Amino acid sequence: MLALALLAFGILARYASTIPWSIVLVGAAYLIGREGNSVVDGGAAIIGALLLLSAELASWSIGENPRIKAEPSLVVRRVLTIGALVLGALVVDVLLLGTAAFSGSSGILLVVAGVAAAVAAMALVLRLVRG
Amino acid sequence: MTRWATPKLASYAGLSAVGLLTAMVSARPELVALTAPFLLALAAGLALATTPRLSADLELDEARALEGDEIGARITIAAATPVDRLELYLRLPRGITPGEGRNPVALHLGAGEQRELELSVHASRWGGHVVGPVYLRAFDALGFLAWEATVEMRRELRVYPREEVLQRVLSPREPQLSSGNEVSRRKGEGIEFADMRQWTTGDPLKRVNWRASARRGELWVNESHPERNTDVILFVDAFAEARRGAEGTLDLAARATAALADAYVGRRDRVGLISFGGILRWLAPDLGAAQLYRVVDALLDTQVVLSYYWKDIDVIPRRTLPPNALVIALSPLLDPRSVGALLDLRARGHDLAVIDVSPIPFTTRPSSGLDAIAYDVWALRRDALRQSLQRSGIAVAEWRVGTPLQFALEEVRAFRRHAVYARA
Repeated sequence: MLALALLAFGILARYASTIPWSIVLVGAAYLIGREGNSVVDGGAAIIGALLLLSAELASWSIGENPRIKAEPSLVVRRVLTIGALVLGALVVDVLLLGTAAFSGSSGILLVVAGVAAAVAAMALVLRLVRG
Repeated sequence: MTRWATPKLASYAGLSAVGLLTAMVSARPELVALTAPFLLALAAGLALATTPRLSADLELDEARALEGDEIGARITIAAATPVDRLELYLRLPRGITPGEGRNPVALHLGAGEQRELELSVHASRWGGHVVGPVYLRAFDALGFLAWEATVEMRRELRVYPREEVLQRVLSPREPQLSSGNEVSRRKGEGIEFADMRQWTTGDPLKRVNWRASARRGELWVNESHPERNTDVILFVDAFAEARRGAEGTLDLAARATAALADAYVGRRDRVGLISFGGILRWLAPDLGAAQLYRVVDALLDTQVVLSYYWKDIDVIPRRTLPPNALVIALSPLLDPRSVGALLDLRARGHDLAVIDVSPIPFTTRPSSGLDAIAYDVWALRRDALRQSLQRSGIAVAEWRVGTPLQFALEEVRAFRRHAVYARA
């Protein structure tokens, strides 16, 4: 609730610094809820994607200046970009959690390294596509 | 272009770093799952970001316009690289307001794409304006990086004051010697009948009044008033003005000056201009349409400039104030320096008429208290000042916004006629 209130305040006051803090609060609340449970939670993939979606939408809301009239195609483009990003994040998370479930908690360093490598590879591909 | 990172970049980078570190410390893969989307967004955003290469051009349909006109503007923007979000803003000076079209506008440009943005601007105040520059701000696809640039394109737009049509203008006490439309009080070659006198040697036969000669038994000739032109000096007081919002006494004075210059030039009179204020400008009297444009162009550069320097009319070049010229002053009578100059002009024998561009409509009377009393005293002192100018033989008429200039001119004309009779 505190995270939600903080995010709402940030959007209303157009104060972008509240976004990461509200994300941190949600993450902390999730971790506290998972305390003592050693089984890897598959729902974390959806939560991660939803957190990204909320952060993106909040950033959009705060960053949008009503005085600047945006072309309709620009709005469609942004919606598609955010959608693709959230979908990509969901895929990455599912793969990540699947790998983590097999490797167990001892392989966390490998998981982090794997995530970093996957993300770097995706970035490289995007860069090449962009030309 | 100047590049800078948006707060979103720092937020996502911080979230990714903190999340991954906490995941390693706490050995919770779920934390990596919560963090990975932000890391992915960061990597994708930075990978997709390319420095935009943009070029822009600005065109105005007209370089000259009348107050109240709509002028078309066209911004051509071309991108050599793809720009995911480009914000574009054309800076408009005070006195030029946005009309139709989008400004500022956000758009997307593909690589090699060129766009033309059509918009219109409204010339709401007279003056010499500079439209531009164009400000550009580009963002990458996810808004992590921004690039800013100012395209130094400035287009000059001269907005002329909208003139009022005048039925009749003031006539000077004494016209000049050149031919014109003003019927002189003197007698000479002309069309307007003036008097009759006995024939003398050298009088042409065509001027003999045969009917009168037959009645009197000797030759009598007609005399006529010659048509002459006049020298008119328009004296604009630019020491001080009263202003409320977009309208002020200087705007009214400028419009009236343009209308008077147009009317006098149309009568083939010589018109000159003196802008008497913090910056002194003058234009020696001349005739013709070219002079009208010169007067209006000089008027566009007139503005109130704060100055504590005491000026009197000695600073005005002599040739700008020819003898027998009619000086029409347009002043809000707010600054003692301009009032002093008017009295000085009158004392030196110039034919002077003053249009008091009233500052009263641009002020608000306080509802009560000492402020209200002070306001009333100020208004009374203005009346007293007008009367003191009239006692000095200066024709003064108050002109308020919303009333035709012709009313004020007729009031001045009535005073001048009365003053002439009183002298006779």
